Amino acid sequence: MRARQITRVVAACAIATVVGAISIFPANAAVRRQGGGGGDIVIGAEQEGDCADWISSCAGSSWQIWIMGQHTMPRTFDFVPKSKTSIVYERNVLLASEPTVEEEGGKTVITYEINPDAVWSDGEPITSHDFFYTWDQIVNGEDIYDPTGYIDIESVDDSDPAVAVVTFSTPYSGWRSLFGGQYGIYPSHILEGQDRNAATVNGYDWSGGPYIADWQKGVSVTLTPNPNWYGDPVKNDSVTFQFLTDTAAEFQAFTSGQVDAIYPQPQPDVIEQIEAGIEGANSYFTPYTPNAEALWINNAAFPFDSVKVRQAFAYSIDRDVVVERLFGGLGITEALNTINPPITAEFADTEAFSKYTLNLKKVKQLMTSDGWEKNADGFWEKDGEQADIVIQSTEGNARRALTEEILQELLGNAGFNLTIENHSAGDLFGQNLPNGDFQVGLYAQVATQLEPGNCSIFCSYNIPTEDNEFSGQNWTRTDLPQIDPLLETVGSSSDSDEVAAANKKADKISAKFLISLPLDPLPNISLWSKDIKGINKKAPDSGVFALFWNLAEWTKS
Amino acid sequence: MLTYVARRVLYSIPVLLVASFLLFVFVRATFDPTVKLRASRDPQAVQRERERLGLDKPVPEQFVKWLGDFVQGDFGHSERTRESVSTMIVRALGYTVQLIFWGVVVSAIIAIAIGVYSASRQYSKLDYTFTGLAFLGLAMPPFWFGLLAMQLLSSGPKQWFGLSEPIFPTIGLHSPGESGINLDYLRHLVLPVMTLTVQIIASWSRYQRASMLDVMSSDYIRTARAKGVPQRRVVFKHGLRNALIPLVTVMSLDIGAVFGGLIITEKIFSVPGMGRLFFDSLLYGDIITLEAWFVVSALFIILFNLIADVLYGVLDPRVRLA
Repeated sequence: MRARQITRVVAACAIATVVGAISIFPANAAVRRQGGGGGDIVIGAEQEGDCADWISSCAGSSWQIWIMGQHTMPRTFDFVPKSKTSIVYERNVLLASEPTVEEEGGKTVITYEINPDAVWSDGEPITSHDFFYTWDQIVNGEDIYDPTGYIDIESVDDSDPAVAVVTFSTPYSGWRSLFGGQYGIYPSHILEGQDRNAATVNGYDWSGGPYIADWQKGVSVTLTPNPNWYGDPVKNDSVTFQFLTDTAAEFQAFTSGQVDAIYPQPQPDVIEQIEAGIEGANSYFTPYTPNAEALWINNAAFPFDSVKVRQAFAYSIDRDVVVERLFGGLGITEALNTINPPITAEFADTEAFSKYTLNLKKVKQLMTSDGWEKNADGFWEKDGEQADIVIQSTEGNARRALTEEILQELLGNAGFNLTIENHSAGDLFGQNLPNGDFQVGLYAQVATQLEPGNCSIFCSYNIPTEDNEFSGQNWTRTDLPQIDPLLETVGSSSDSDEVAAANKKADKISAKFLISLPLDPLPNISLWSKDIKGINKKAPDSGVFALFWNLAEWTKS
Repeated sequence: MLTYVARRVLYSIPVLLVASFLLFVFVRATFDPTVKLRASRDPQAVQRERERLGLDKPVPEQFVKWLGDFVQGDFGHSERTRESVSTMIVRALGYTVQLIFWGVVVSAIIAIAIGVYSASRQYSKLDYTFTGLAFLGLAMPPFWFGLLAMQLLSSGPKQWFGLSEPIFPTIGLHSPGESGINLDYLRHLVLPVMTLTVQIIASWSRYQRASMLDVMSSDYIRTARAKGVPQRRVVFKHGLRNALIPLVTVMSLDIGAVFGGLIITEKIFSVPGMGRLFFDSLLYGDIITLEAWFVVSALFIILFNLIADVLYGVLDPRVRLA
């Protein structure tokens, strides 16, 4: 048989199959909506969130909020980057004027005057009842992600639709992140009387923001301009976030021009890709983030129930070396020296932990003064018990695995036997940490507001106990009653100087007793095509709302 | 034939029941869906969730309840997304079926052509070349091949030739704003189908070659040749039909197995099919989705086993389906 005949048969079969398949699957015409004429922008999204009910516990994914929630939910304040080290709140166009804050009989009353032009995408006005409905759902709803701040609200007066009067029974310093932030404001006229979660969990077609979102599960979220948007006109025609969960595929998609921007996590393979060079792209790397990655120490677990052991542990680690190994490729080489995330730096003592550098003499001095001696294996031992330490983190995270390996080597040199034991996020955060079944945890705390607020994780009365029905979030079992009043002030004072003074003092005490050891700020990485305009190259990242805070201003040439 | 099919379907029911029970017990023993609620501020949250999921009841009772719902098409709601699991599986199957359809069509055409050519030109240069390529294909890890294909056929040409967009896109099955079967769809299919088929073509072409060689040395082929039947007729009419029988069996079994096995291809090319659904559900410990996913996958394996048996009888009249 001749090869030509085989070729003919193959070609005939291929053509028949294509024609057949085209007749089986009907083609739909491409749908393109018109917007501000600034082009159709495509962005790679590393993660797809599980749901779009932002106040529910299923909405823990920052990504889904960045790509959908923040562009469709009205909010009172924006997070605006002003420089490399400054992010500020700015009043959103939802409000007609700056909210007024008054103290009345020991209570804080905040009055929001709503912009008379502010309407939902169906043309209905945004009213004070929407504020009330949102607060009521968060405080009284089931399976709520985090009611912090809202539970301090005593009432929301919605008697005047154009004015929402919010009364706090307990002052809350982060009030600007309420009725906004990660949650936004829900449309009461649409959702009241029905199951909010069921109505929003898989997406929604209403909007009170600049865009209307269309969530194609597993594929993309497409934002098209909201025709009833009451702010500055949206400049682009559409923005599509395509889900790219594989890092290598994400970079291929970016370098081949299939996506115009990406915002990858600082994993080792990402940093390798960046070091290898990406042509035709703008890039921005910043340690000024809402993240604080630390070695969270269980202060109640042996051997860390001793302050001296905790301090010796800290002197065993060259944190700058760890940061250099992890993020040197981004030019980030210095460890975090406060237990607060960098975006709250103005309220923190950013040098509080700086004395904890590698110092083996100090380790020896602290350990021997605490009754420890080195055994034949070179590890510290006391009363027959060796200084064995288990570190736990989230499995499947290459950066954390590398961090643990570096720590294992450093701590081994100092006489601590470190074992690595990683778990699924569910087991780690749902079981081991709350139950106190850990010695050291490696993970990040992520801020959702610009004010500090560590009382929930460090105040002594928030240690999970029977008294608080094991609901406390102080998983490190930090028991320093002297920092409780300081952290309470931080959480409740509306005087920023007072907040800063109290928080800096708390930072110093935290460092003195080494309640945990901050490691790094988990830098943010922004990469975008040179065809994209509207991004401030000097300060593109808003931290809480990532690179996407001003998406409506982006255009594609 | 119908009696045979009906009997095979009946035989499949106890197999499926035992398989689904084992899978159900395995999933419930492996994952605790209430773990994530242990840190809840609501002390009753864990207990409420256990009651809602029926975890407070004995496992056999849980299984009977689950099975009753399952056969009525109610697969429950995902712990992760709160969405109906049947909706999620149907959606994911839609993508996976597309990949498998095109993968099987392309693989079958190429593998059969290679197998027939190699057998009819045994020990020729091209036969050796195909044999070498087949072993290379079998040894090729799909994730590596996929990334290589992306670099060489997508981002590479775009950079080298200054194209405005890559010839073969690497994200999903459509560009934003596109749908249906059109040129955009076919361009998106090239790389994932190539990645999916490289090992399948290698494997099937070897089966086809061996089977064809076996058939071509049969007495009836020799008789046909002795009677002066033209070579093309000998190969395609007398040889190929019989040589296809073992391959059809292998193909049917392989197709059933790959319904849940495209994790790598789907992840690399961002296709939200069954493989990615499994991966995401496993990471989250979403037992409701995993239980349904396993049983649906088992259903496909049993279905394609049945198809293999039926096709065997259709292709080989000596096999009586009784």
